[in-house]
Amino acid sequence: MIKKILNLGALGLLAVASFSSCSDEQQFTDFNTNAKKIDVQVLNAELSKVRDYVPLYAVIAHRGSTFWAPEETEASWRWARDMGADYLESDLQCTKDGVVLSLHDDNLKRTTNIQSVFSDQIPEIRKAFYRTLTWEDGTPCNFSEEDIEACYQAELTDYYSYYPRNYYYAELLMLDAGTWFNEDNIEQARSAFGQQGDGQYDALEKTLESLKSGKGVVYSKGQYISALADQIAYAEGKMLKRDAEGRRILPYYVKNQYKGKTLKEIYAASEAQVVEGVEYGHQGRYHDFIEYDFSNAYVDDPQDSGNRPGIYIEFKESWAQPKNIEARVYNELAKWGWNICTQDCTGQPFYKDGKVNVGRTNGKVILQTFSFDSVERVFKVFKGRIPMCYLLWTDYPGDYATDIKYDTPEGVADFIKYMQDKGCHIIGPAISGAPNNYPEMNCPWQAYMVRKAGMLNHPYSFDSQAQITKYMGLWVNIWDTNPTEFDDLTRITIPKTDYSDGGTWNIYMDGCFTNRTEMNLTYMIDHGMRCNKALPNPFHPGQTFDNSQAPSVVPDAGALLTKLGYPRN
Amino acid sequence: MKKYILAACVAAISMSGFAQDFDVDPTLNISNEEKKVNFTVGARFMADAALFNTEFTPLNSGACISDARIRTSMKYGENWYFYADFGFGNGEFSQKNIFLEYSTKDAQKATHAVKVGYYNDPAGTMARQTSLGSYHFISRPGSSEALGEGRALGVTYKYSTPKIFLYQGLFTENQYNKIESGFNGVTVSGRWLYRNINQHGGGHVGASARFAHIGGGEEYTTKGSTILKKTLSLSQSMETYVDDDSFVNCELPWANNVIDLGGEALWFGNNYFIRGEYKHKVVTKKRDSYKVFIAAQDNIDGWGTYDAWLTANPLRTNHFNGAYLEAGYKIFGGDYKYDMHDAVLGGMNGKSLEVVGRVNFTDLNDIVDGEYYSAGRDQYYPDGYMADWPYASSSVGGGRIISATLGLNYSFNKYAQVMLDYTYSNLKKDARPYDKNFHQVQARVQFSF
Repeated sequence: MIKKILNLGALGLLAVASFSSCSDEQQFTDFNTNAKKIDVQVLNAELSKVRDYVPLYAVIAHRGSTFWAPEETEASWRWARDMGADYLESDLQCTKDGVVLSLHDDNLKRTTNIQSVFSDQIPEIRKAFYRTLTWEDGTPCNFSEEDIEACYQAELTDYYSYYPRNYYYAELLMLDAGTWFNEDNIEQARSAFGQQGDGQYDALEKTLESLKSGKGVVYSKGQYISALADQIAYAEGKMLKRDAEGRRILPYYVKNQYKGKTLKEIYAASEAQVVEGVEYGHQGRYHDFIEYDFSNAYVDDPQDSGNRPGIYIEFKESWAQPKNIEARVYNELAKWGWNICTQDCTGQPFYKDGKVNVGRTNGKVILQTFSFDSVERVFKVFKGRIPMCYLLWTDYPGDYATDIKYDTPEGVADFIKYMQDKGCHIIGPAISGAPNNYPEMNCPWQAYMVRKAGMLNHPYSFDSQAQITKYMGLWVNIWDTNPTEFDDLTRITIPKTDYSDGGTWNIYMDGCFTNRTEMNLTYMIDHGMRCNKALPNPFHPGQTFDNSQAPSVVPDAGALLTKLGYPRN
Repeated sequence: MKKYILAACVAAISMSGFAQDFDVDPTLNISNEEKKVNFTVGARFMADAALFNTEFTPLNSGACISDARIRTSMKYGENWYFYADFGFGNGEFSQKNIFLEYSTKDAQKATHAVKVGYYNDPAGTMARQTSLGSYHFISRPGSSEALGEGRALGVTYKYSTPKIFLYQGLFTENQYNKIESGFNGVTVSGRWLYRNINQHGGGHVGASARFAHIGGGEEYTTKGSTILKKTLSLSQSMETYVDDDSFVNCELPWANNVIDLGGEALWFGNNYFIRGEYKHKVVTKKRDSYKVFIAAQDNIDGWGTYDAWLTANPLRTNHFNGAYLEAGYKIFGGDYKYDMHDAVLGGMNGKSLEVVGRVNFTDLNDIVDGEYYSAGRDQYYPDGYMADWPYASSSVGGGRIISATLGLNYSFNKYAQVMLDYTYSNLKKDARPYDKNFHQVQARVQFSF
């Protein structure tokens, strides 16, 4: 009997083990489940303080606008400022003479006529450019022909056509940065964006004549490749100073400190960047011996709306820039009073008297990058004291070096932790939708994880009403009929305002890069996310965020361009 | 009738020297005294059920046929023995053992045996030398799976006495020579033991070593160069057959030579046993670096110099370790027996009940100090932080696991047995930061005849 019991017991044990596994609940690897399960690292108090420098639901004018005007030019940024955007967005690169540019592409082919003007050779004016250089007082430098030839030959060995690092800024100002837009966007073309008057070769022809007579480079007459200093000036309500022909006025000269040196010696004496006593070594390819007089390069813009947006600047491909570009930008911002590490702006409101005032606050500058190298270097230079956004991209199964290869809850949590440890406060995910059709990296679970981490979520880039409604209220849980597991952090009740009845929506962003500033602003005002005295603050439960003083009227986008001097014709 | 009964008994006695190949003596046993031939047919079946509890990545609880096979043997005279078995577990046909052995005893009663065919590598761990049907756990330890080699095609020579066991041989890398490119690699391996066994128990202690040159790999042609890339894969399961997901694994590109060094010990009495092994694996690398460097010059920003490329793409020899310790106590039933032919512990002996325990350690991590690992990119960064175009890392993050198993085994008779194991595993693997603790309860029913 005992034997039978033992035998049956053993077999029964096996049967129980077998049948207990036949559960109805099949387990899967599920992003939604795991996103809730993972404990993401939460932003510490120090970084949270800096995060709060940034206004909630910020509208970031992506390259000014890629839809309405030539990107990252005077036209697009003046427009974005007067439209009421909170930030003017741009991408930072560096010229051969160390001028920090606001330029998106790593080369100049798409957004200028460089292939017509310079071909893929070193500019033919280069030697003449050296011959005509002067000191600040206007006396010629008189570099010897041997000296010039030696430098020219050295440049030939290290020349990569169309990358900005191979050109002096004066040479870039000969280019037309607007006509391409008119050719590619016929419906939005405005002749004032393009080279005015005398055709594509106007600046080149006039420069050749000018250099022959011992004078300097003659600039083009339309939109230019911008410097960071230009972008800051537009944010401050200024515009370019131009001569009677419409060419910008920007004198250049060789810095007095190099007097008595040959060109070769000047190259060798290229300066290091110094930030807070730390040297960020000189970069042999970049020679900062030419001074451009940006301090006298602007005039008050008669069309200035009074808005004072901040700037949202991106460090680009690290391999194409000087390794000390972050230190250069630190010093450049300080030079123009835009570095809160050197000039604190505590106490200023984001909006004042119906105007954007972000450009006068501690949130006036936001840094951003896709580059791991830049994250590392920005952290060393800025130490997390300025809001910093890490931009996410993936093209899985492809694998670019800075992609988040595994855009999974585990991968996102890993990036969130790393970026926080490197002084980042914001995550910028790509969003899907025409016309760019980027990968979707801002699903509810992803937005939830970023929110849970206490970081701001600034998706890029908005081009349509469909995208706006999707990420600002009508995705998944439409009309409260389909609650999600992420509603605890993403579902926001917006109180009534003078311009909106308010409502409860799932909002999967805290700010947005947009090419359609007018659409984002209109939607936000209409839905109470802007011009609201008591917005729930998701980062400080129980507290509110006041943006009631933001502009409540969105100008007509096309009419504003006409008003700014770019009529449709 | 008596003739046949006698023949069966003779056959059974004559087979005892080759008992490792059968967990139980085959029931179907045909002898022809006149032709000095004995032929046997047997079969074995194992079915497992498992219930898993994990923290993050789910394992699929369920049941499966973990092994089903038909086994045959033929003995001719006193010296020749042929064995073959064929598996059908998991619904697939699989090649198991198939070999021919010639053995003889010398004047000092030492056995000399030469074996040719497809069977376990001598240095493939003591655990792998033991038939799963004779094993005291539902699975072999993970370290023997990850670091020990299994069957291979080759020839061995074995010298054994009651005190000495010397077993060594020569093998090929791939039994079917179905390598994409290169040649079939060659392996030399051996297992050498000193033992002292008597009717009350005893034990052995010894070492094993294996050298393998990997000959085959895949080739790719680029920029006019053909490059042979040889890759070695190591992995272990979670000590279960019900879900074959591997949480501990690595791929070693450019592998060239493999050196395995092992030590083992076994001690047993009538009612208990304790045994363990340690395994160290060294994998050397070889690459036609210049060809790969030339192939990398595919854009305007290519590498400056060959030396710079070599610095940025280092190759390094990797080292991995594993060990296990197993113990058992017989509550009732037949005594534990030692298999002199294969120098392993036998299975449960008749109707019996035992309790067993095991601790296993497998380390497939070989990570350079100071490197940063990004789970979002599944990549190690040599400078300790993420970089856009970092130097290649030579770190291997295959994972480190410690598992502890408690088991209860009951044998109804010499043919049928049930087993119940609980295993806890703790994983440390950079690529799976949320998979730390695993719990599993497994049960098995097995019968063989």
